[in-house]
Amino acid sequence: MVMRVPFFKMFMTSPFEGLQEHAKKVMECAWAFQQAMECYFANKCKTFEEFRQEVTRIESQADAIKRRIRGHIPKRTMMPISNFLVFRYLREQDQVLDAMEDSLDWISYRGESRIPQELEKDFALLVDAVIDPIEQLIELVVEARLYFKKFSEKQRVIVKNIIHTLRRQEHEADNYEDIIKKKVFNIGADAVTIFHLVRLAETIGSIADHAQNAGDMMRAMLAK
Amino acid sequence: MPQEYYVLIIGYVFGFYMAWNIGANDVANSMASAVGAKAITIRQAVFVAGILNIVGAAFIGSHVTNTIRKGIVSTEVLTDPHLALIGALSALLAAALWVSFATWKSLPVSTTHSIVGAMIGFGIMAGGFSVINWTKLAAVVMSWVISPVFSIVIAFLMFKLIVLTILSKKDSFAGALKLSPFFIGMAIFIVILSFLFKTPLGKKLSIGTPVAIVVAMVLALIFGFAGKCLLKRLIKNKKSNGAEEIFRRIQIGTSCYVALAQGANDVANAIGPLAVIYFLVKTGGVGATVPVPVFLLMFGGIGIACGIGMAGHRVMETIGTKITTLTNTRGFSVDFAAATTVLVASKMGLPVSTTHAAVGGVLGVGLARGLEAVNFGIIYKIMLYWVLTVPTAAVTSMVIFKILQFLL
Repeated sequence: MVMRVPFFKMFMTSPFEGLQEHAKKVMECAWAFQQAMECYFANKCKTFEEFRQEVTRIESQADAIKRRIRGHIPKRTMMPISNFLVFRYLREQDQVLDAMEDSLDWISYRGESRIPQELEKDFALLVDAVIDPIEQLIELVVEARLYFKKFSEKQRVIVKNIIHTLRRQEHEADNYEDIIKKKVFNIGADAVTIFHLVRLAETIGSIADHAQNAGDMMRAMLAK
Repeated sequence: MPQEYYVLIIGYVFGFYMAWNIGANDVANSMASAVGAKAITIRQAVFVAGILNIVGAAFIGSHVTNTIRKGIVSTEVLTDPHLALIGALSALLAAALWVSFATWKSLPVSTTHSIVGAMIGFGIMAGGFSVINWTKLAAVVMSWVISPVFSIVIAFLMFKLIVLTILSKKDSFAGALKLSPFFIGMAIFIVILSFLFKTPLGKKLSIGTPVAIVVAMVLALIFGFAGKCLLKRLIKNKKSNGAEEIFRRIQIGTSCYVALAQGANDVANAIGPLAVIYFLVKTGGVGATVPVPVFLLMFGGIGIACGIGMAGHRVMETIGTKITTLTNTRGFSVDFAAATTVLVASKMGLPVSTTHAAVGGVLGVGLARGLEAVNFGIIYKIMLYWVLTVPTAAVTSMVIFKILQFLL
């Protein structure tokens, strides 16, 4: 028989622990995503499929973390914020991963396709622009946790600044997405290629959208 | 060997079992928040709590104990020595079984209320319902509500105060150091008053309330400022969590006090009935109070220490990630609320339990948004066990009484 200590029954693993772990996975995934995209831009790349598999693997790991968090917040858990906000935040952070996976899947559907040379640079800029906000996410969770420890105005401002940065970065990514969509119609590609490229730009762009949404959810958690 | 000696041996076994259970179920009361806040390691906690419980039991614990805990049952049930012997045995075993069960279920219960319930069961069997002191029983029922609520309020206010004056400030370390005399002083004030009013040794000094308050205030002032100087020397390198560092030191002090007081007060739950058996066997009769030999108190203290030691191993497994959010400032708030509640409530004559107060303290800090996650759902279960404690211990005690009456 294992001995039990009654007092400890009240305490439970903090969901913030899980959010931080999940955010770390998102970062790892972003790295693999970037490698895959760079490979796709380069000529004669052989490792795209490997990186795509890597992203899928990390995504399923993150999914397990997500399920663990969702499954371990009983109805009457007392937290500094409502569990509804935790779930919404987690959902958005998870969709960042999904969008990365979707982008790579979308590329893989069209076999040997390549990005026309005229658009290569714009796509590279878009990918860089969506990676930036992902890097902010882990910082966001860490700093927010610190705020819930100290409740200082200074710390609150730090978190709010990160959210602000997220918004700005999302806007930048949006601009690159628009540029691609405008250009795509003027390069004289066939309809199927245009559809493939537009959809690709939109999917990549949605990575930043979800990162921004996660930031907005965090902003709601900070509300006094 | 006459039959009485067999009874005495059984009494020792039951008494040790009860003491062991007190240790296992209540170890967390004194050291949990300190360990959770990483103020001390589990090994240290187990060791220190064990030693302090023995010291508290043997030296501060009462050398004269009421034969009936909290006077819940009229002493006329003790007039027949044979019945009294059976009653004390069954009360001891019934209370111990209930606490064991609660510990197995991982729910903190009051060991005092367990023995009180068991005594009621014995009282009903021996003298019918008329021997029960209903006002005392009502006070027990009232304490289920009053002690957690009171503790919630104090912990909530204490934590908010720490946030407002220290944590939210730009330089929280400097703030904490500046205000440390105040927080140390408050803790010392409560500790001294508790010592004077609550512990048997303190009661023996019989200092009046106004004098006690003055004494506590003066000592609080002295220790507060001395503590600040000490902290200044101890914590040289200013880290980011400097404020927590300061409360870490304060918390070690409060935890040690709780362990000491626990040994002093709770040892009677196990040793009180054992002392009754001891005296019935040795002298053939008991009155309203019995003197408790030091070796019995020591025996109880060791029993509690053994329970703590066993429970300590389990903590090592659970503590890892589970209570990472209980930092020193939060732990201090919980400890302070529990100690204050127990002090004030027992001054009001309510038989409160440290367990109830500590649980209330955790809730208070949680309500102040101080904890990342507390399982509120479990609280309902804990409260159910509080309410069940007295009737279950009573019924178990009645059953055991009948069985023993048949056997002896």
